[in-house]
Amino acid sequence: MRILVAEDDELMLKMLEFRLKKDGHEVIVTHDGREALSKINEVIPDLVITDIMMPYLSGLEIIGSVKKNFPGTMPVIIISGMGQESVVLEAFQLGADDYITKPFSPNELSVRVKRFEKVILR
Amino acid sequence: MLKVTAPWAIKITAIKLLIPAVFTIGLHSMELVILFFTNLILVLLLAMIILTVWRAANEKNVGRYRLISGLLIRKAAFFDEEILPGTLIPVKKSVTKLLNNKFFRKTFTEELLSAKKNLSGVAGENLKYLYYQLGLEKYALQNLRRSHWHLKSKAIQELTLMDMHDLKQDLFVFTNNKNELVRMEAQVAVVQFSGFDGLAFLDEITYSISEWQQMKLLQKLANFPPMLVKIDGWLRSSNDSVVLFALKLARNFHTFDSHDIIISCLQHDNPRIRLEAIHCLAEIYTPETSVHLISRYWRESLVNQLAIIKVLQNIASEDDMTFLVTLMYNVNYDMQLAAARALAHSGERGLSLLMKFGANDDIPNHIILQVTAELAA
Repeated sequence: MRILVAEDDELMLKMLEFRLKKDGHEVIVTHDGREALSKINEVIPDLVITDIMMPYLSGLEIIGSVKKNFPGTMPVIIISGMGQESVVLEAFQLGADDYITKPFSPNELSVRVKRFEKVILR
Repeated sequence: MLKVTAPWAIKITAIKLLIPAVFTIGLHSMELVILFFTNLILVLLLAMIILTVWRAANEKNVGRYRLISGLLIRKAAFFDEEILPGTLIPVKKSVTKLLNNKFFRKTFTEELLSAKKNLSGVAGENLKYLYYQLGLEKYALQNLRRSHWHLKSKAIQELTLMDMHDLKQDLFVFTNNKNELVRMEAQVAVVQFSGFDGLAFLDEITYSISEWQQMKLLQKLANFPPMLVKIDGWLRSSNDSVVLFALKLARNFHTFDSHDIIISCLQHDNPRIRLEAIHCLAEIYTPETSVHLISRYWRESLVNQLAIIKVLQNIASEDDMTFLVTLMYNVNYDMQLAAARALAHSGERGLSLLMKFGANDDIPNHIILQVTAELAA
């Protein structure tokens, strides 16, 4: 799968890239919301993984844009911090497909992504 | 003829001779002072230049250090082999050598801690192992022994995040430290490491535990399976914050054995403790609890009185109906509403008594309607 990852923490971004590439996915990394939206429209990934809190545009705005421009074809997984329950609920209302909270297990993320792989390949 | 010089003339001459001498000495002193301050300024300027150059050199290295740190951290997080005693995560010799550099070590530790905060599961465990393998805890221990509180609290936080259980005793001594932040970090650490056993610091603590800290400790304890906690001693503590925390423990973990001591807390001088005891009795009660609450009612503030009525909603019996009916005539609307709810929840007799109030002009009818609507919902 082609996966776009949006995360402003450089180390976490590299972690996610490493894990997903290890699983055989093509990974496009972006460092903020604005860059993420631009890349989404350019490369049209199969899946988007985005942090909630990012510079320029938040993960919530990215979800809104993806669901509007690519309805039903581009799942979005959000990464939220602990204690952001209300934000997670808002993300689901906007159409997010799954979420994972920090601190998270990369293995768990890997399994969650695989779930979408099965759906997309069908 | 002898010339006699008048005394005043002598004085003037002496002064005239002294002034140049003093002036000469003064000039030398001034030169010295100027020289001293000039040298001082030069030294300070030199120190500033050296510091600036050193900082610039370090900042230039930050990017490189972060890259090196990131690579090693990633390698550790995704280390494929199962970590058994004796397993070593491969670390390049150049990196091991770099760890002797204070600035690199600081950067690496910060990156490692940041990654640990974001990762759990196997990856998180591997990072802890890397921290231990590199012996980084000894630097945190050095900081624990320094006098600066911010270094101490940061060190405790680091050791807690990296789960250094073996250092529990080293951290316990800080649970009653004079600095609040150091105390808070140490208390969280011992509870994280030992669960309920970690609460032993409550036996000795002389400082107050803030409400926020109490919440944090309860949150940490929620990760442990509930166990019998001996809280009687803490309920009798001379430290009011310890009593408050013990009441919260009693409520959360249902320590029924402590019921009688909690009842005695209803007589405490501190109204906040009395209120917490009232809340606690909503969870820990016997058939006699309502009697104690009602006997306390008339001596309490409005806030505590309302709390008592709310508890009675759950535990009131037939014998308490008379008291609740009396409260329906209270001039305070909130009290009437609370009493109405208590009556409604206390069984058939309470509900039928409540409905009779519908025809009573002294009681606002909408209270009855509201309560019956709540029951129906």
